[in-house]
Amino acid sequence: MAEACYLCWEVELPERRKKGMKYFGILKEFVIDSGICSHCTTCANICPVRGITAGDKPIDFPNWIELCVDCGACIRVCPRWNYVPLKGMGDYIEILGAKSKRFRGQDGGLVTEIIASAMEMGEIDRAIFVGRDDEWKPVIIHVKSVEQLEGERIRGTKYSFADVIVELRDAVFHTEKGVGVIGTPCMVSGVRKLQKVVKRYSENVKLVVGLFCTENFYHHQLSEFLAEKGIDLTKAVKTDIKKGKFIVEFEDGSKTSFSVKEFDEIIPSGCKVCQDFSGVESDVSVGSVGTPDGYSTVMVRTEIAKKIMDYIRKKDYVEFTEPKPAVVEKLVKYKVKIHPYPPEKKE
Amino acid sequence: MRSRITRRVRIKTPDLNLVDRVKGHIDAIVTAAFQAIFPDRITIQYPRERRDVPDNFRGMIQFDINKCISCFQCSFVCPANAIMMRGAPDGRYYPCIDYTRCIFCHFCVDTCPRGALLRTKIHDVAFSSMEEMFATTEELIEPPEMLREDDTVIRYRIENGDLVLEKIEEIAELSTRPEIQVSPAKLSACAHPENCIACTLCYLTCPSNAISVKVVEGKRTFEIDPKLCTGCGLCVKECPTCTLTLIER
Repeated sequence: MAEACYLCWEVELPERRKKGMKYFGILKEFVIDSGICSHCTTCANICPVRGITAGDKPIDFPNWIELCVDCGACIRVCPRWNYVPLKGMGDYIEILGAKSKRFRGQDGGLVTEIIASAMEMGEIDRAIFVGRDDEWKPVIIHVKSVEQLEGERIRGTKYSFADVIVELRDAVFHTEKGVGVIGTPCMVSGVRKLQKVVKRYSENVKLVVGLFCTENFYHHQLSEFLAEKGIDLTKAVKTDIKKGKFIVEFEDGSKTSFSVKEFDEIIPSGCKVCQDFSGVESDVSVGSVGTPDGYSTVMVRTEIAKKIMDYIRKKDYVEFTEPKPAVVEKLVKYKVKIHPYPPEKKE
Repeated sequence: MRSRITRRVRIKTPDLNLVDRVKGHIDAIVTAAFQAIFPDRITIQYPRERRDVPDNFRGMIQFDINKCISCFQCSFVCPANAIMMRGAPDGRYYPCIDYTRCIFCHFCVDTCPRGALLRTKIHDVAFSSMEEMFATTEELIEPPEMLREDDTVIRYRIENGDLVLEKIEEIAELSTRPEIQVSPAKLSACAHPENCIACTLCYLTCPSNAISVKVVEGKRTFEIDPKLCTGCGLCVKECPTCTLTLIER
């Protein structure tokens, strides 16, 4: 065999903060139960016995006392373990405002465009997208061809937690060229931590697209909340947050909107300590803030993303506009202000 | 459409005289008498006679439950999807063979890392229903039941360019020949230690306790004992991060 094989090897274990407790128990106590878990589902991805459950409820491991194999992998990959909040704009090569000529999306359809172009270039052969069902419940879709990206339900923001990183595991071990992942800043941090721990991930996850994010919701809480407001999500075609307002657009073209401040009670506690708005660890960050309606702001951060943007430019797939980094920066600072860490104690 | 009229040709019987006819009859009688005394036919009077088949003949399959490590390789490799793994009370899974599907390719026999599946020379079992053709694990342990009428073994031999039958008065041995089981010697090894997440699933699944795990100074050390490892590949299958691989010994 060309590669060296070992009959003896060692792996460093994380620090066991509580003696005599299994690692998941420690993660549960220090991250999940202490309210800083971001629901990025990285632990559920790495769990070798697939015992950690995510979905539409807080991270859990039913019967962990018995079934956890005590490997400590969940702690090693958890981005909230020894949490130091990331903040700011992060390093970037260029910032652009753009709109796809091929795809329609939440704003400029740039996430779809970047993934489609990366697939065309042969950098990746699959990507994980979040689609939705009739009730706007997120559904994971493994995209393996550009045609699949033209689906109606794949586009648009869902504002609900989805098990993207859980599904990443199957994608990483089945890909031939590479995988593209799209996620909120916490998911991006999760992927980066996974890449540090397991080499396979650093080899096979080629493109990480970060989304601008202030907070995300549990689907059941969001739909219940909207139902209370008399909004029937089954008839909605688009949800959006713009200028402090949550907007729901319906099939017949009518719109309902209300202030995002009303959401305060359903914001998950993990989001309340997150200060990363722009996904500083991603390869490329995309969001609507900082560009006119119908355009997306793109922050190109790494070489691979630069290569893809150059390809898009060469093929003339997008229309460009002048972005306003100052507006993005304002929201970056705003997120730090509204999400202090350590959290302010309430009297 | 009218059918085409074809001309019929009548073949005439040869015009033989009496001497030729008598000669012909005598010839036939002599040949028949000679064949009755020294027959030279090459057909086998099955089922009273049975051909001697080589040791690697792909007949029905027998199963040795003591050797099986429940690794599922046989069911994975089966191209006809004829092998079903059924849960046993001891918590393991053992194969059942659906003979309505089996194509007798013996991939399962060849792939079994422990030689738990054995070849037999039995190929002629009658079933009275489709259900009977599903051989459960218990049925596989014993060689399949069949009615034997044979008392002679036939061997073909080529002598001076002619096929010659050799008849041996004995009852053919149809049972298993475990000694012809040759599976390449394999050994489990870690190909990508940097992928290992120290989950110990390999250690937990190893049926022969070849993998040992120690915790020293915040590090978990894994060690594979090549003496104990049988190369069954169970740990390779279990490993969630594809860290382990099978190498040639």
